[in-house]
Amino acid sequence: MLLLHSLCKRFRPDAEPLFSGVSLAIKPGECVAIMGESGVGKSTLLNCIAGLETSDGGRIELEGQRIDMLDDDAWALVRRKRYGFVFQAFHILPHLNLADNVALPLWLLDIDTATARARAQKMLDAVGLGGRALDAPNKLSGGELQRVAIARALVHRPAVVLADEPTGNLDPDRAGEVLALLIDTVREVGAVGILVTHSRLAAAQTDRVLQLRRDGLHSFDVTGA
Amino acid sequence: MIRALLRVFVASLLGRRLAGVLSLTAVTLGVALGLAVQIIHGAALDEFGRGMRLLAGEADLQVVGPRAGFDDNLYLKIAQQPEVRQASPVLEIEARLPGREEKLRIYGVDLFRVARVLPMLMPVAEDGAGRLLGLEPGRLFLSAAARESLELANGDLLTVQSGLRETELLISGSVPGAPAGQAFAVMDIASAQQVFDRIGVLTRVDLRLAEGVRRDDVLEQFAARLPPGVTVRPPDAGVAESSGLSRAYRVNLTMLAGIALLTGAFLVFSTQYLSVVRRGRELAFLRAMGMERALVMRGLLLEGAALGLLGGLLGVAAAHGLAALAFALVGGDLGAGYFAHVTPSVRFMPGASLVYLALGVTAGVAGAWLPARHATAQVPAQGLRAGNDSELLAANARWRAALTCIVLALLACLPGPLGGIPVFGYLAVAFILAAAVFGLPGAVGLLASPLALSSAVLARLARARLTAAPGQVVVAGAGVVASVALAVSMAIMVGSFRDSVDDWLSKVLPSDLYVRASSSVASGYLDPEAVDRIAATEGVARVVPVRYDSLRLNDAALPVTLIARPTDGGDALPVVSRGPVMDDTRPRVWITEAMADLHRLGIGDHLALPIAGRDAYFVVAGVTRDYARQHGAVIVELNDYRRLSGDHLINDLGVNLAPGANRDTVALLIRETLGDRVVEISLPAQIRAISLEIFDRTFLVTYLMQAVAVLIGLFGISTTFAALATSRSREFGMLRHLGLRRRDIGRLLALEGSLTAVVGVVIGTFAGGAIALVLVEVINRQSFHWSMDLAPPVGAIVGFALTLVVLAALAARVSGAKAMRGSAVAAVREDW
Amino acid sequence: MRSFQCLMLALGVSLAASAAERYPPVLPGKVITFPQDTGAHPDYRTEWWYITGWLQDTDGMERGFQVTFFRVRTLLGEDNPSRFAPTQLMFAHAALADLDRGRLLHDERVERALAPLAGAEEGRTRAWIGDWSLVLHEAGHYTTTVNAGDFGFDLRFDPSGEPVLNGKAGWSQKAPDPINASYYYSRPQLAVSGTLDIDAHSHAVSGQAWLDHEWSSEILPEDASGWDWIGVNLHDGGSLMAFQMRDRSGATMFNAGTLVEPGKGVQTFSPDEVRFQPLRWWASPRSGIRYPVAWAVEAGTRHFEIEPLMDDQELDSRASTGAIYWEGAIRLLEDGRQVGQGYLEMTGYGERLRM
Repeated sequence: MLLLHSLCKRFRPDAEPLFSGVSLAIKPGECVAIMGESGVGKSTLLNCIAGLETSDGGRIELEGQRIDMLDDDAWALVRRKRYGFVFQAFHILPHLNLADNVALPLWLLDIDTATARARAQKMLDAVGLGGRALDAPNKLSGGELQRVAIARALVHRPAVVLADEPTGNLDPDRAGEVLALLIDTVREVGAVGILVTHSRLAAAQTDRVLQLRRDGLHSFDVTGA
Repeated sequence: MIRALLRVFVASLLGRRLAGVLSLTAVTLGVALGLAVQIIHGAALDEFGRGMRLLAGEADLQVVGPRAGFDDNLYLKIAQQPEVRQASPVLEIEARLPGREEKLRIYGVDLFRVARVLPMLMPVAEDGAGRLLGLEPGRLFLSAAARESLELANGDLLTVQSGLRETELLISGSVPGAPAGQAFAVMDIASAQQVFDRIGVLTRVDLRLAEGVRRDDVLEQFAARLPPGVTVRPPDAGVAESSGLSRAYRVNLTMLAGIALLTGAFLVFSTQYLSVVRRGRELAFLRAMGMERALVMRGLLLEGAALGLLGGLLGVAAAHGLAALAFALVGGDLGAGYFAHVTPSVRFMPGASLVYLALGVTAGVAGAWLPARHATAQVPAQGLRAGNDSELLAANARWRAALTCIVLALLACLPGPLGGIPVFGYLAVAFILAAAVFGLPGAVGLLASPLALSSAVLARLARARLTAAPGQVVVAGAGVVASVALAVSMAIMVGSFRDSVDDWLSKVLPSDLYVRASSSVASGYLDPEAVDRIAATEGVARVVPVRYDSLRLNDAALPVTLIARPTDGGDALPVVSRGPVMDDTRPRVWITEAMADLHRLGIGDHLALPIAGRDAYFVVAGVTRDYARQHGAVIVELNDYRRLSGDHLINDLGVNLAPGANRDTVALLIRETLGDRVVEISLPAQIRAISLEIFDRTFLVTYLMQAVAVLIGLFGISTTFAALATSRSREFGMLRHLGLRRRDIGRLLALEGSLTAVVGVVIGTFAGGAIALVLVEVINRQSFHWSMDLAPPVGAIVGFALTLVVLAALAARVSGAKAMRGSAVAAVREDW
Repeated sequence: MRSFQCLMLALGVSLAASAAERYPPVLPGKVITFPQDTGAHPDYRTEWWYITGWLQDTDGMERGFQVTFFRVRTLLGEDNPSRFAPTQLMFAHAALADLDRGRLLHDERVERALAPLAGAEEGRTRAWIGDWSLVLHEAGHYTTTVNAGDFGFDLRFDPSGEPVLNGKAGWSQKAPDPINASYYYSRPQLAVSGTLDIDAHSHAVSGQAWLDHEWSSEILPEDASGWDWIGVNLHDGGSLMAFQMRDRSGATMFNAGTLVEPGKGVQTFSPDEVRFQPLRWWASPRSGIRYPVAWAVEAGTRHFEIEPLMDDQELDSRASTGAIYWEGAIRLLEDGRQVGQGYLEMTGYGERLRM
């Protein structure tokens, strides 16, 4: 369970808040899409949730524990154990093969090599790239790279998966497939999924669609408007 | 078009000032060091040569002999030859001045003849004195420089030493024709012969030839008629001799400068490579816009050339400054002691400056060439895609090329020197360096594999990075390899050399005390009576007298040193090899390694030595080591020498104490016996300390150059990681998302840096060891003709290597700090 | 007597009078023997062999010539075993009076005596410096060779008579104090033959010459300023030598002479029998020094006049030996008729000699 309570973010202490009063509760296995106009702070909200930026008010609780007060290193530990990321630009390390890229979070958790290798393989199987574990990333298409990224985001069974425009660099056909895969996988591992996107089509596939405004999150009907 | 190239490419240099400044510094240093060595030696040699030429005056030819001189009867014969218009006899004395540090060169000349051959030696009496005042015994005329340095005026007395005797000479006038800066004195030849006990001896006859006589004809005819050991030569041959004296040393220094320049080229290569990697998309964009491949290539080469040119210009300026500094601090011979009397000044050398400027530009272009080729070989569309530097940094193992280079290096060690310069030895060094650089990519894999055993994520990441992008190591490490190879090879060579010299010194200085009246070239000596008195001193068990002279064995070669001393059948000598020459009744001679090399002599060969104007025949009984005399020396048994020459004088006397005798007491007794002012008594430990100090001073400049080269190598690591850290900021950003802490990123960079350094240092150390072998066995052997025992200073090298690895890790980490500081959020965004 | 001011200047202070007692004194009564005494006398302080004369080439051109070899004992380095020890110095001087040039050509050599390069032999005349030489051959004739910068000659001299001893049997007093004296003989009436090289041409020449050989230990008296000397071969086969020593006021302080008249033998004059009277003065355009180039000379009962071959026979060697004097070919007239040809030497008209 991820709980946001009255989160607030300013860029400068005296400035108008970028957003405030952001409250949200997401159950494990639930996937939420956050939409909003450009510049409203969707990615910033995501960064706050991940501890990559500090919020200026409110609370973040993960599984009943407050985590918004942690320092940088503690956040790094939290991210290492409990978070998974999917980026628009994939960020697959070119000098690692697919399996190693996927296993990277496991390495960080000091999981022994054989186990890590097996779990990475399983994840790759899950995203449909099981036969290409030893391939170098430069042989893959964008959609395939993002599948690897999804595998990497979930291989260590995180509590939270954050995805910032995961399909922004993909053509619509691939985008649908990859998104479905992401949501399915999040549900499968029982994680909390938060997806920031511009795409209504993408948002529509999630359990819940919210719109970020200055004064907080509002439910949003994708099919309307 | 050039303008476009300048704006697009060269202007980009301004955008990366740090890396630019570092590679500029490297080129500047390489050019500055190389050119400074040239300038310093050029100026010293010029000054030395100028002095010699000036003092050779209008002489067409000079008759010269052994240092001890030749029978002046020969002068009478030469002066009567119809080819000779005027002959001027000269007795040159290096006078020891008791109570003074400096020595005074005194030319004994015939006042009636010198004016027509060497007007600059014509003395002029003090005001109002008769013209022939100089004929009076004991009159001395000083050049302005000598007057100044000795602080003497007309009417003053100057004490000179001959043997152990002091004589007072009256300063009676000047030598107005003396070239500026030349400190010497002139006196009448008869007086000189008498005062310095050289009756019947000349050291030189200067000749002016009759009109219409060809110099070469006379050279040929006289050469055949002159007695053994005496030769006729053009006056400038002396300049060539002095040039030959320092050439080997000079060539070695120039090689060091060359390696510094090479390191500079590597650094240009690194920065250009990284710049190209970082500008991949920019370059692809330019190509997409329609700039053709060749133009991009030219533009990138232009960048390198611009760096090289600027570095070269700065280097040329710095070289002149360095030379001036060197003259001020250590003198014209960089402390090597070849040009003791010379005070040169820095002069602009246009030729050498241009050459080194060109070398600087070449280094820049050469450094830029490979990156430019890589960049232009890329398909634009690929480059336009999101940055992926490891493709550019991929490098294949080049074992075959490395092996080829090693074989070529081995082959290059076989031939002899070209014109006295070990050209092929240097070629071997170049091949070894090339082999090391070719071996780098492959070595990365080998050396990084132990990391596979570690499951630590940083180790995995570092290994993955290095093995997937060995180019990074090549780029960062090539400079390290070159500089480490240079430093290690010099350390091994200098260390072995110093060890061997030390060892040699203890072998050649077995006595407890050494007594001499002056250095062997100067006017002091011990006569048999003085030797007897020392031998009879209480507490003296045995004396070992040594007599030195220099002999001319043939017209072309430089004079060799003759050492006459008790040899104890060779046991008293630092013999390298000896052989049985039992059935030969000729007297034995031991030759030094240089002598064996230069005169192609071996054990059992017969050797004619011109002693006292006659050829005496010897058999070579053994080869000895001698680090003091590059042009060779022969050692004969003192009794043989005395029998053949009739010369019973002694230069150095080793004194062995009786058991229980006190060294200081004996030294004091000897001083009292002979006079405190006229003898120098030294302990072997002192001589050894002084010799080693001179040795260290000689190599001081090489230590400095090593330090600079290593610094340049570290620059390479630093710039590479600074640049890579920037281009890898997205990777680091993602790793931060995955939960790596800032300091983990720092540790990753440090790990990669030290791995790179380990690879560079290991390869560099191997290459350095190989180069040291080449230096010891080929280059030194061919330049200086002496062997040495390899004594690698293992501890120092290991310490140096470890330090370098730590420094490299630090450099990488500090350089990468920018990447660690950067926001992880910004790094992963596509549109930053 | 001859231009020994050269030597004086050249030797400078080293020949201070205090050293005089180390030289043998020149005393009357010494028997001069030939050819023994034609050789060098190295114990004495100075010695010279001096030839002057007139040459005529095949075109009838007349020239005066002079060649001198000096020997000086320096007292320097006599304890020095070096072969270069400058105990004896050799000077040589040669000049040619050429009407075409209107002045003298001259050259000189200086060396320390060092056989075989330069020296003066005892026993028979042989003085040489390099390829300059003067030799008396056993057959009785002299030869000289001179290779100067712009001239040279190679001459043979055949004496027609015995040597003429000047003064008292060869002891020639130079000043009122008899300490200033020399041993002095002359060889007048030498028939010259040989070649003269000038302007890259070689001329066969003949003529008459005069040789003086003089050695002494004590030179000029303190108060002397210079002297005038003539040596003339008379056309009748006789010869005239006369000199005067002048004091600082220019007045005569001593003079002497020797006249040989065929058939009458040798006549030596006491100081009151010789008189020099200047007739005409010539000023050197180079040095500004005025010389009496024409003289009236009384010798015993005979009255002569002297006319120079040319006025400008000044010899300026200030740059080398430091001396400037007049030394040239002259004609001797008696009753307006030429009776002889010879040489005149005049010193001390310029600066006072430096002692």
